[in-house]
Amino acid sequence: MFLEIKDLSVKIENKNILKSLNLNINKGEVHAIMGPNGSGKSTLANVLAGKEDYEILNGKINFKDNDLFDLNIEERAQEGMFLAFQYPVEIPGVNITPFLHSAINSKRKRMNEEEIDNLSFAKLLKSKASDLGINIDMLKRSVNTGFSGGEKKRYEILQMSILNPDLAILDETDSGLDIDALKIVTDGVNKLKTNDNSFLIITHYQKLLDYIKPDYLHVMVNGSIVKSGGPEIAAEIEKDGFQKFQ
Amino acid sequence: MNIQDNYLKNKKNIFFSENKDIETHRAKLINIFENDRFDKKNNESLKNINLKNFIDFKYKYLTPEETSVINNNQENSYSIVSVNGQCSSFKDDKIEISKILDEDYNDFSENNTIEKNDHFVNLNSLFLNSGFKIIIKKNNNIKIKISNIITDDDLTIFQKNNIICEEGSSLNLIEEYENKNNSTSNILNVIKLEKSSQLNHFLIQDNSPNHNLIITSHSSCKKDSTYIQKVYNFSEGYVRNFHYSELTETNSEADLQGIFFLKDNNTSNNKTFVKHLAEDCKSNQVYKGILNDRSKATYFSNTHVDQVAQKTEGYQLSKGILLSDNASYFSKPELKIYADDVKCSHGSTIGPIDENAIFYLRSRGMSKIAATKILISSFINEELSSIDSEQMSEIIQKKLVRYLSKVK
Repeated sequence: MFLEIKDLSVKIENKNILKSLNLNINKGEVHAIMGPNGSGKSTLANVLAGKEDYEILNGKINFKDNDLFDLNIEERAQEGMFLAFQYPVEIPGVNITPFLHSAINSKRKRMNEEEIDNLSFAKLLKSKASDLGINIDMLKRSVNTGFSGGEKKRYEILQMSILNPDLAILDETDSGLDIDALKIVTDGVNKLKTNDNSFLIITHYQKLLDYIKPDYLHVMVNGSIVKSGGPEIAAEIEKDGFQKFQ
Repeated sequence: MNIQDNYLKNKKNIFFSENKDIETHRAKLINIFENDRFDKKNNESLKNINLKNFIDFKYKYLTPEETSVINNNQENSYSIVSVNGQCSSFKDDKIEISKILDEDYNDFSENNTIEKNDHFVNLNSLFLNSGFKIIIKKNNNIKIKISNIITDDDLTIFQKNNIICEEGSSLNLIEEYENKNNSTSNILNVIKLEKSSQLNHFLIQDNSPNHNLIITSHSSCKKDSTYIQKVYNFSEGYVRNFHYSELTETNSEADLQGIFFLKDNNTSNNKTFVKHLAEDCKSNQVYKGILNDRSKATYFSNTHVDQVAQKTEGYQLSKGILLSDNASYFSKPELKIYADDVKCSHGSTIGPIDENAIFYLRSRGMSKIAATKILISSFINEELSSIDSEQMSEIIQKKLVRYLSKVK
């Protein structure tokens, strides 16, 4: 199993958010999680990425034969986990290009691979940016600073394509995107998909799933997955909302 | 030993002790020390320090041998070595360096912007034992680097300098304070900018833990002149930076900036004060601090706009990052505006490093320590990238790397 979440319960500030959650993802699969506001979707994404604000009450997570809780945030990233943030953080003064260069090399170092030099990195970045319709001038700017909502999401996908993760978690990447930006972002994701990597896509709306076809769809309500099945569940949600799952 | 006994005992080594007017002034200062109740709450010069250590001191001064002034004519640049607060006289057609004279003393003592109850400035006036005067002659464009060296342990340097930029002149002045011995330097710089002159003044402070540096400056700007001061404090010993500017004629500008990097038990007290006394003048006061361990800092900023100073633009900003729960930074910006057509602002933000930004960077594979360091560097990125001298930028970067290497 590539990612195995077993009986996971999590709380933050005395509030139980995830309750005995189970989820298995195999290599090469695309899973989508849909659920109403406050159901714990983003908490799940943050816990997977290692955010330290949460208290793990119970459960286990295995990722690529590692106990995920033995790895800190950066080790998880270096092992191939990537979280595309719902609200990417603006970091003025930290330039995009050296930041991404150092990120990719930290991963290569852990994998005992040779570090990528400046020139090769610049070429790689330029080609990936151009695939995503990102202006080269944007790469001279500070991380997410002064970016529009669409630019931020596009930049998350750029980072994802550079870091080429084994498991990408997209936390409401579609929110705040107009239809053209949504197409560019989802094209980026589809291009990256292979039989060796997996995706966990978190969304409110069926719209995103018109562009990225999931193999499995899960409905999350009140901290637990209440229904799992194929992409056809999306139509049910579209028709009746989340009410019937609660 | 009380102040009076200390003064009388060392009088023969103190400048101008033969001058009756100066002696009368000093008698008044002694009287202040003997009668002041040292009200810590309302006196900014007393915050975070044990004044007793500074008042009840053992006076020691060594007069240095002649020092060097190196002139590189091709680049209009000069290197000055100031030893124990003194430097040799020098004169050419562009600059003039000399010892301070009785007549200069009035420039220091009659200054009305510097607060009367600043005990450190008063101590400086009482025990004055060194100092020099630099004049940049009309319409010259000059670079000067001053290395301030103290030769022995336990010295008490009380130094007054007078810097005058004549009409149309421009001076790029770098002052380095990098002392490794156990001494105290109390320095007052009085800076005069004549019409259409400019001074870019950089102060690099990097003293060892037992060296105290108390530096006060007063600059006054005439028509169309600009004073830019940038302080980089990497010192491991106590540093006090109190800097006052007066914009006395139209279209003049003062820009007082500082960055300080504190760790261990170190303390730094900072103050900037700009007085707008004429129309169409601009000022900027920006201090940023990074505080680790149990370090402490204060920053008082003040913009005073006189009623004649219409069309003033005056900005203040204070920012601090606390890297430890035990570090503290007290900041107090003030505006006093007596004119009605002005643009003024002040702001202050102090807090721990942004945990969301740390999480974001770590989630891309960067270690926590690397993420912290990159965020500290980004916090002062604007100040660092605005340094236009490659040599200066290299010096500051090296010191920053040294500071960051201790951040855990």
